[in-house]
Amino acid sequence: MALTFFARAAVCCALVAGAARAEAQTIALDVDQSAGYSSEDVAAVHTKLRTFGEVGPGIRFNVTGTWGRQSEESDAFAVAYPYTEHPIVLDAYVERTFLPAGRLFGVRLGRYRTPFGISSESDHAYVGFQRNPLIRYDDFFALSSTFFEEGADLVVGVPRASLEASVGAPGDVGEHTRPRGVDAVLRAQTVVGAFIVGASYIATRPHLAHADPAAGPVAAGALAVDEEEERAPAGERAAFGGIDVRWMRNGVQFRGEYIAGRPFDGARTHGGYADAIIHRPFMGPITAALRAERIAHTDAGIPVLTGERYTAGTRVRLPRGFFAHIEIVHSSAALAERGATAVDLGVSYSVRIE
Amino acid sequence: MSRRRALIVIAALWTASAALGSAHVETFDLRGTVRAGGRAEADAVVWLDAPTAVPPRAEKPAVLDQRNLNFFPRVLAVRVGTVVDVPNNDRVFHNVFSFHDGKRFDLGLYPVGTTRHVHFDTAGVSRVFCNIHPNMAAYVKAVDTPYFAVSDRDGRFAIAALREGTYTWHAWRPGRQDLTGSAVFNPGSVLDLQWR
Repeated sequence: MALTFFARAAVCCALVAGAARAEAQTIALDVDQSAGYSSEDVAAVHTKLRTFGEVGPGIRFNVTGTWGRQSEESDAFAVAYPYTEHPIVLDAYVERTFLPAGRLFGVRLGRYRTPFGISSESDHAYVGFQRNPLIRYDDFFALSSTFFEEGADLVVGVPRASLEASVGAPGDVGEHTRPRGVDAVLRAQTVVGAFIVGASYIATRPHLAHADPAAGPVAAGALAVDEEEERAPAGERAAFGGIDVRWMRNGVQFRGEYIAGRPFDGARTHGGYADAIIHRPFMGPITAALRAERIAHTDAGIPVLTGERYTAGTRVRLPRGFFAHIEIVHSSAALAERGATAVDLGVSYSVRIE
Repeated sequence: MSRRRALIVIAALWTASAALGSAHVETFDLRGTVRAGGRAEADAVVWLDAPTAVPPRAEKPAVLDQRNLNFFPRVLAVRVGTVVDVPNNDRVFHNVFSFHDGKRFDLGLYPVGTTRHVHFDTAGVSRVFCNIHPNMAAYVKAVDTPYFAVSDRDGRFAIAALREGTYTWHAWRPGRQDLTGSAVFNPGSVLDLQWR
């Protein structure tokens, strides 16, 4: 398994402390299984195990392992998880949160998702979408939802306004990973009524390098180049800024992100998405999800990729831990390598063992 | 004070204390166990009908906590009229809702360190979920009586401050049919319940 020092340290801490205090603390295991088929001729199966609990008063641990197989490389069913040949560890961290006199102070150590924008696994994986936003897919010169940090994350403030800072090294999983180096992420977030507004900034190493801008706009699949060739030169840096907004009332959630930055020297990527996630009482077990999104990437001032995509989907909560997912995805020409419209069908099963 | 007046005051105090004494009704805790298939059953709600019970006062709020992507407790019993606090003690947002039976609500997204509230104003079972964490689930059972309890890990429960008398009892646990019956309870009574 691809475990680095920080992840190993977090796992060891969790296991040692967990064994020492197993009788006094609650430790749980979540098991998630999913399978899907897309009209793009992509099939996928995926397993996720997550163990979590408390290893001392207020000290929580979380370790997530995953393994998935995909018949073709695609972003279908790739939301929040990569597909790899071997089982891998995603999150592995310990954390503690303090709320003294209405203030908020939290610390997290280990490997955790890059705290940029709307980043938590649950925000991406369980709301009705089966594909990453374009701006969150690692093939598209932006920020991936499978970027991870190995280091320390601090959050300070009050519940309705907080600052978060993460310092560490990239610990990405999936096909495209950033080289080692120092990573810094800053995030500010505030809650005003039903609005949650955040701004994020990341300074990191590039995970992709130059495509061939002289070739002009290309299809998505053509952007993927050999792993050896796509590494950016040493010393090159990437930087992104983003804003995110969420609003929710009476079972209707609107949210969106806009991200812009430099994926590597001389290039610029910007784009975003807007989601509507609807789960009203009369809908019972059905959640409806709609997305409109756009991405644009230029290299040396030349447009390389510009595309839009529209998604309509639904997630249905079935008895006994099963969920069904149906999604219709319509892409603009530059993104439609396998056709303009795709239908993704998925089923998942989730159970908690305590 | 004359001796006659002093005697009148003493007699009045005596009469008053006797009246207070006769008004005092002894209460006791009804203890029991819940088993299912021969095993101790945790998280079963046991309650007694009390149609003449006084209406609920402004009681201390009950708490359905969210931490580590879990609800605590998994089964919460409250009296009808209770306001339940639902704090978020996780680093992530939660979206707590109940759409099926009992009280219907959707609390929306709210951050760590904040609390939302639900007024359980009708009797029934509310199945509570988080819309973005599929394994988070809890039950809130609202009962129209002050006499209720939830069984612990050993299947034991205790209903406090009961008065001697004949009661109709009920028991509920997730996924099972209610049990019900009638019995006379007095100090020392034990109520042992069994799901087959």
